[in-house]
Amino acid sequence: MSVHDVANAKKRKQRATGFSEQRTGRAFLAPTVIILLALTILPFLLTIILSFSRVTFEGGGIQLHFAGLANWSRLFADERLWNAFSNTLILVVFGVSVQFLIGLGLALLVNGKIKGQGFFKVLFLLPMLLAPISVGYMGRMMFDYGRSPINDFLNRVGLEPIGWLISGDVALLTILLTDTWQWTPVMFLILLVGLQAIPKEYVEAASIDGATGWQLFRHITLPLLASAVLVAILFRTVEAFKVVDIIVIMTGGGPGLGTESMTLFAYIAGLRIFDIAYGAAISLTLFIPVLLGIGVFLAVARRYRASTSG
Amino acid sequence: MVKKKRLLNNAATYGMLLLWALIVLFPLYWVVTTSFKEIGDVFRGPRYIPWVDFIPTTEWWYNIWTVQRRMLLGPVFNSLVIATSSSLFAVIFGTMAAYGLERFRFKFGHMKNKDILLWIVSQRVMPPVITALALFIMFHFAGLLDTKLALIFVYIAAHTPIAVWMMTNFISQLPISIEEAALVDGASRVQVFFRIVLPMVAPSIAVTFLLCFIFAWNEFLLALMLTGGRTQTLPLLIAAQHFQRGPQWWDISVLVTISIIPAIILVVSLQRYLIKGLIPIGK
Repeated sequence: MSVHDVANAKKRKQRATGFSEQRTGRAFLAPTVIILLALTILPFLLTIILSFSRVTFEGGGIQLHFAGLANWSRLFADERLWNAFSNTLILVVFGVSVQFLIGLGLALLVNGKIKGQGFFKVLFLLPMLLAPISVGYMGRMMFDYGRSPINDFLNRVGLEPIGWLISGDVALLTILLTDTWQWTPVMFLILLVGLQAIPKEYVEAASIDGATGWQLFRHITLPLLASAVLVAILFRTVEAFKVVDIIVIMTGGGPGLGTESMTLFAYIAGLRIFDIAYGAAISLTLFIPVLLGIGVFLAVARRYRASTSG
Repeated sequence: MVKKKRLLNNAATYGMLLLWALIVLFPLYWVVTTSFKEIGDVFRGPRYIPWVDFIPTTEWWYNIWTVQRRMLLGPVFNSLVIATSSSLFAVIFGTMAAYGLERFRFKFGHMKNKDILLWIVSQRVMPPVITALALFIMFHFAGLLDTKLALIFVYIAAHTPIAVWMMTNFISQLPISIEEAALVDGASRVQVFFRIVLPMVAPSIAVTFLLCFIFAWNEFLLALMLTGGRTQTLPLLIAAQHFQRGPQWWDISVLVTISIIPAIILVVSLQRYLIKGLIPIGK
């Protein structure tokens, strides 16, 4: 073996290890990418195809036929869509706002010098880890018309009992309250982490300079908390659009269609009435407000950031 | 004067904290006590305090352990198997991807590491109902409808982004020098990953696993759409109580109490890690 050969072999080996280093990197990513492509992206594309199809069942099999815009034109004429859409939007907008305010308040309180901090943290986090199905049942037991603690309380302070789950005027509010009970912890958690990341010296320095409570909050805490606020609202907004579990248990979408959400509507149309193609079209409309919401929110946030840093 | 104001402030702080604590605790208290109430005590209006308002009974717990055990054990077993195995894979895949993203430079088209991470995490944005109908058809053709495997696959896909998100945060905090030393000494990447990185992030892996486990344990919609009678999970069993025979609150309360036990164990034992590990703000 000549010197030349040895040098060549070395070079080849180097090239090989460089190559394998790249391959190793990709191997680390591969399982995640593959499973997401197979079970999120692929079904998403299939749903788009489904929404332009007619599905028939023959001999236990499922056949797809191209149906053009039939599902879509039917869908946009369907009042049930606008009902489900507005119900969902109300739950998202009011739910996220209320949960943000309560979550922020609780995070500020818990982040102060208080006794029993650990206890409050554990307790305030807990509801987000419970099964929404179980929370739905708890909600029903709390809001039930005849024998519930809440109506009993109203009765004792001299007010009329409320048909929380059976009256069309308040059922959506009841869902919103239950949703708030379960998901305020997410806001609390993200904002608390954000608050804890703020260096104590900033606040101390400002308070030595004579800043009072509200000024401290407005000019020191809030700007430093901006990215946590952003994450919290964005995360909860995306999740809130998916609301369904507690509705299934508490009202089943009723009374009438008073609390039917987009997800529930898509499920009922797709797998209970068993019009899968129509269900696919319904579910896809849910994607539009989610993307729009994210877009608008990020644009606003970017402008806000530019204005504070510039 | 100042002292008085501080006292007032303190009172207001604790007042508000205790009010929310009461709001959180009361429904839990209610469901647990209802699981010990006689039927009459449930229907004769709210009875609050055991031994004062009502005499507690262990009948329903006894009942579930004897008469209805088979009804309960199947779904609990299914939920355990599905949640455990899906979370295991989600955490393995997530840890691998997080390590890859932290230690290698990628370029797919114009996507670099940050874009890839964002792409992975953004999969959570997709409302599950959108993919569920298509998955229903896919699993129909694959013969996987109403099997544990279907839900395991789906939950891996649903929870891997969370695992990647959390593990990226944890791995980015590791000192890189130990790994470099090992690489110089001739260890391979795979050896470094298994022998050095994994032991260092083992506690974080446990936290991530438990969180994925809880999410899978609680999941309802996908289970509802992709399984039938053979693969009932615990949330499906609980939901079915109401559809099948009207609300029998005492039985439901027992099931609900059972369903929330893992969450309570998790949050009490891991609250410190949860708060630290979950959200890498400002990254």
